[in-house]
Amino acid sequence: MFTEELKAFRRLGFRHVLLQVLNFASVIASGLMIWKGLGIVTNSESPIVVVLSGSMEPAFYRGDLLFLTNPSSEQYKTGDITVYKIPGAEIPIVHRVMETHDVPKSIDIRKYTKSKSKSKPQPGEDSKQDNQLLLTKGDNNYVDDIELYQGLEWLEKKHIVGKVRGFLPYVGYVTIAMNDFPQLKYALLGGLGLLALIQRE
Amino acid sequence: MHSIFARINNTSALLSSCMMALLAAIALSTLVFTARPEGNVSVASVQVYSGNTRRYATKRQDLAFVDFNITADFAPLFNWNTKQIFLYLQAEYNTTTGIKNEAVIWDRIIRRKEEANVNVIGKNKYNLRDLSTNFKNAPPASYSLKYNIMPYVGALTYGEAARTSEPVAFPPRKTRV
Repeated sequence: MFTEELKAFRRLGFRHVLLQVLNFASVIASGLMIWKGLGIVTNSESPIVVVLSGSMEPAFYRGDLLFLTNPSSEQYKTGDITVYKIPGAEIPIVHRVMETHDVPKSIDIRKYTKSKSKSKPQPGEDSKQDNQLLLTKGDNNYVDDIELYQGLEWLEKKHIVGKVRGFLPYVGYVTIAMNDFPQLKYALLGGLGLLALIQRE
Repeated sequence: MHSIFARINNTSALLSSCMMALLAAIALSTLVFTARPEGNVSVASVQVYSGNTRRYATKRQDLAFVDFNITADFAPLFNWNTKQIFLYLQAEYNTTTGIKNEAVIWDRIIRRKEEANVNVIGKNKYNLRDLSTNFKNAPPASYSLKYNIMPYVGALTYGEAARTSEPVAFPPRKTRV
């Protein structure tokens, strides 16, 4: 099967192979540009996420795709479905906001966020900003998320990746399958790479 | 154009474009519906007791217990793209210290049109507490019934169905009987 392709390569020369690699790289680069551009437009570090757990059933099942935005000027409201990441935890969590407390600039929010780790504010973190304290809960859970907060009393805007705006069912199951069966991921990448290199157009 | 590979290529391209067009059509077609359901929320009583916080079992916190009546009809919101409607009743108030609070005290999921007629005499499912440990700085609160429509495909929409006609005050704390 490959003798035909190898003969073609010898005929066209090394430059042809380099051209194919360049095509491949430009496809990957444009994909990355679209992803990062989407992240800038929505002001979220990860504007498309896959639902990983069943804690929001029957609304979201494992494998659903969610579209997020993170408006910096807008305050979050109760009922919004937010994706947040606790510092120290790897996976983002998709739950609904149950309580919001809008603390104006004049009050120091650290009075209310007596987290177990009493750390000084990092340089660059302005504790005098108009901030919000949030409490979340999954629709399918009986109690709110306080055990998931790893010592925090409340979530703040800086923990939130974004708010769910739109929804596409089942599409994200591919990424979950690839995580559970890493052989599938390597097989897919290997197959795509091979296909890109041996294509002659 | 006659190899198996080319045939599979063309068929799958056609399948995915048609699928995307169908999903877009479903999502956009639901923008036509602008039904706004009306309802009624009234609060029967509010009582404030002292309880323990969930995390620190020895720290005291004032908790408010609310009894309410809700009637509303959400049937006009159901169409081919409605997967479920999430209802929630929330308390809203601005403390005298300037903090704006909204807390959900009750919620329900409606999955079918037959269940869309809501008539509930209930009490709060979730603890209603203030950031500070008491309600001394809390003025009378409004209670509003809001809904979130979750589609099979497309954008999530929110709305408000009902609100208490006047704010309801938090009474002073009672000692437990």
